[in-house]
Amino acid sequence: MAQYLTRNALDPAQRELQTALRAGAYLGFKQALSLPPQEVVAEIDASGLRGRGGAGFPTGRKWSFIHAKEGQTVYLLCNADESEPGTFKDHYLIERDPHLVLEGVAIGAYAIGAHRAYIYMRGEYASLAETLAAALREAMAADIIGPNCMNSGYDLRITIQLGAGAYICGEETGLIQSLEGRRAYPRVRPPFPAVHGFLQEPTVVNNVETLACAARIMAEGAEAFKDHGTGRSAGTKLISVSGAVERPGVYEVELGYPLMEFLQGEAGGIRGGRGLKAIIPGGTSVPVLTAEEAAPLTIDYESMQSAGTMLGSGGMIVFGDDTSMPQALLRIAEFYAHESCGECTPCREGTGWMAWVLRRLLAGEGRPGDLGLLLRVGDNIEGRTICGLGDASVQPVRSFIRKFRPEFEALLPEPVQAVAWQSHGHGPRTGRFGPPAEEATRSEAVDGPPTAAL
Amino acid sequence: MLSKDALREIEAARAEEDSPRHALLTALRVTQGERRQVGPEEITYIADLLGLSPALVQGVARFYDQISATPTGQHVLSLCRGISCYLCGADEVAAAVGELLGIRPGETTADGRFTLRLVECVGDCDRAPAAMVDDRFVGPVAAVAIDNLTKM
Repeated sequence: MAQYLTRNALDPAQRELQTALRAGAYLGFKQALSLPPQEVVAEIDASGLRGRGGAGFPTGRKWSFIHAKEGQTVYLLCNADESEPGTFKDHYLIERDPHLVLEGVAIGAYAIGAHRAYIYMRGEYASLAETLAAALREAMAADIIGPNCMNSGYDLRITIQLGAGAYICGEETGLIQSLEGRRAYPRVRPPFPAVHGFLQEPTVVNNVETLACAARIMAEGAEAFKDHGTGRSAGTKLISVSGAVERPGVYEVELGYPLMEFLQGEAGGIRGGRGLKAIIPGGTSVPVLTAEEAAPLTIDYESMQSAGTMLGSGGMIVFGDDTSMPQALLRIAEFYAHESCGECTPCREGTGWMAWVLRRLLAGEGRPGDLGLLLRVGDNIEGRTICGLGDASVQPVRSFIRKFRPEFEALLPEPVQAVAWQSHGHGPRTGRFGPPAEEATRSEAVDGPPTAAL
Repeated sequence: MLSKDALREIEAARAEEDSPRHALLTALRVTQGERRQVGPEEITYIADLLGLSPALVQGVARFYDQISATPTGQHVLSLCRGISCYLCGADEVAAAVGELLGIRPGETTADGRFTLRLVECVGDCDRAPAAMVDDRFVGPVAAVAIDNLTKM
């Protein structure tokens, strides 16, 4: 287990400012304030930090897209809407080390020239919002955040906003819409938030863990960050592991850490000493891995990509060998059907259909072509929607069916009818091999001599 | 309709930005918290308060799971049905809790104390099967006596 981001998180006293300060809190912000904003962006860029929310986009580059014109208000929005199933790492960070999160927000805001920042938290995290708000009040009382942060002349106002229960608010333009007081229908891009974001102003949306990394990087330097991880996957990653493991929880690992070592070590192995059946490595929106596929992998962006999946949010969901994969897939498909915002027809209708077809398969009412139907519905969603939710909903369906096909085929009806129909017109027309009785009577009537009835 | 504290909170959200719409999310949350619903009356009230059309307020209100069109009980008991909780026996827990309270998901107990909800992943998967009583995480529910849940 690495101890870069979470080194203070095990100590509950970190929530208090004085303890946090003794452990080095806000030194990164102080360092940032001593530099011109462009140099802060350059430092983050040099660290190779990639977005920790799921997409893995280089953070420094995202920040460099902001070019505010005279009179524009730049916004930094911290995405704490953590709703990807199986993901609870930001929950952990905010609860354990709120000052690290606030420091990251402050650094991000300074780097992009924002004097306004929002931390948008999912409604279910209301109790964490209190922890964060208490930390913010302390930091403001100590003149660390607020007008003239640490006597630097830089002003920053941070506001915490709670959502009200909708997965789509974690999508960056959905988040912006929600914050504006609208239904969280994602926006068409371009224009990107960096140009027209919150209230049409230049905006950056960053994940909680990403900004926490930025705080460490400014305190300890890009090189120290790159000492962790691999070449293209620099740093550490919080992995929130859950499902059929002995020790579910949040663990910080070096990127490049062997997946099986993590599973057997940190996660404590499969619950009840069972065998491993499958792993979803980064939230339900990424393709599932079979035990065999997962065995040689390491926890980093490239290794996951080489196996056709993604590191995503680091929300690792583990399936033991007693899991019914069709049942599990139904649960996932129902999630997307429930959370599709309804803006784009292929996603609104398609996610419902996928769940519906899976439900009828599991109820023993499946039809012979249902697996093909599921895959086709998925094909008709993918790439045809405004945001990534549609694409995401297809990944589990496609990968579960492809990789665990026999379990799904076992749910299909017996193919009696199909065989009988196929033999029609090919085999000899005897009672034994011919078409079903009803069909036979009809063909006889057609084929028989016209005089037979007379 | 709302307490002074609630109005103050909405006013604070409104003061953050020039757009009155921005305060709508906070207004919905605060109203739900005090009135336990955002029904037609509340919608008209919020619309007047923020100078927005009732249709717009309703459209936004109905988008969110935590904003309820009908009154909830005094407490909302939310059982997580996310995939991680499913893998940890959430279905069995939900059935047991439903039986204990004598209601189905979405319903409220006759005494008006509890509304039972099945919710998507609440982000507390290491305490699966996860559950919340109002804003508090109370999982894993298998580990505490289910009875206790309704006494909190």
